[in-house]
Amino acid sequence: MAGAKKAPALSPAVRKLAALPILVVVATKRDDSSVQLNPVWFELKDGFIWLNSNTNRTWPKNLQRDREVTMLLVDPKTPDRYAQIRGRLVSMIPDPKHEFIDRLAHRYTGKKFRELEPGEHRVTFKIQPVTVTGQMI
Amino acid sequence: MAVGLSPKMQAFTQEVFPAIIGTNRKDGSVEIVPVWFEYKDGSFWINGGTSRGWFKHLQRDPRITLLLIDPKEMFRWAQVEGRMVNWAEDPGGDHINHLSHRYLGRDYQNPRTGRIKIQIEPLRINGSIDGWR
Repeated sequence: MAGAKKAPALSPAVRKLAALPILVVVATKRDDSSVQLNPVWFELKDGFIWLNSNTNRTWPKNLQRDREVTMLLVDPKTPDRYAQIRGRLVSMIPDPKHEFIDRLAHRYTGKKFRELEPGEHRVTFKIQPVTVTGQMI
Repeated sequence: MAVGLSPKMQAFTQEVFPAIIGTNRKDGSVEIVPVWFEYKDGSFWINGGTSRGWFKHLQRDPRITLLLIDPKEMFRWAQVEGRMVNWAEDPGGDHINHLSHRYLGRDYQNPRTGRIKIQIEPLRINGSIDGWR
């Protein structure tokens, strides 16, 4: 596509790490620009990183405001092997039937997600990886 | 003001896993990397070379966030918002060698010159160790 800048594909090493049921550390910035770090369930699919959250939490609010996120995957067996992925929010997809969070829950726990709390709304974030740095590039 | 750690948090910091640190790049983005750490005398201590990106970021903006997470049980985690309050040369690499013993149980294998140790004051703590906010 003319002019379209395609993000680099993630390497086999990173894709292998992302296939494990490990959490990704999500870094966002608060209103005062300080850094917020949260371990989060995720899925790598179709070249995008997919996250899901309760819309009331802080990191999704930060992400919606900045549309930028840095993520870290750490090899649980060898913690000095890691991949830092800078990404950009492409879209937000409401998850009213909890289908996506149930799918993530299956990946991590083998079960459906817990019952939602009153007033809890889930939303899925589609993130385009932009750059990858670290020991596993 | 620096905050003290609860007994549960103090015990958690004695476990052996790297801290994941987040610092602010000049362009407004966030850098996150795993580093060795220890908690001692009310502060977190990390070690690096002066050329490390995160150290440059801290000299410009001393705010730093640490995520402590048990790699085997990832629901056990704590987020520590802190501030670099001091840094000093680590002559002879005594501190990096001390950290190497904490993490690997042996002397540090890489060159011990040009290293610095960084003192971080914890300002706010949340996560699953002390119970959710």
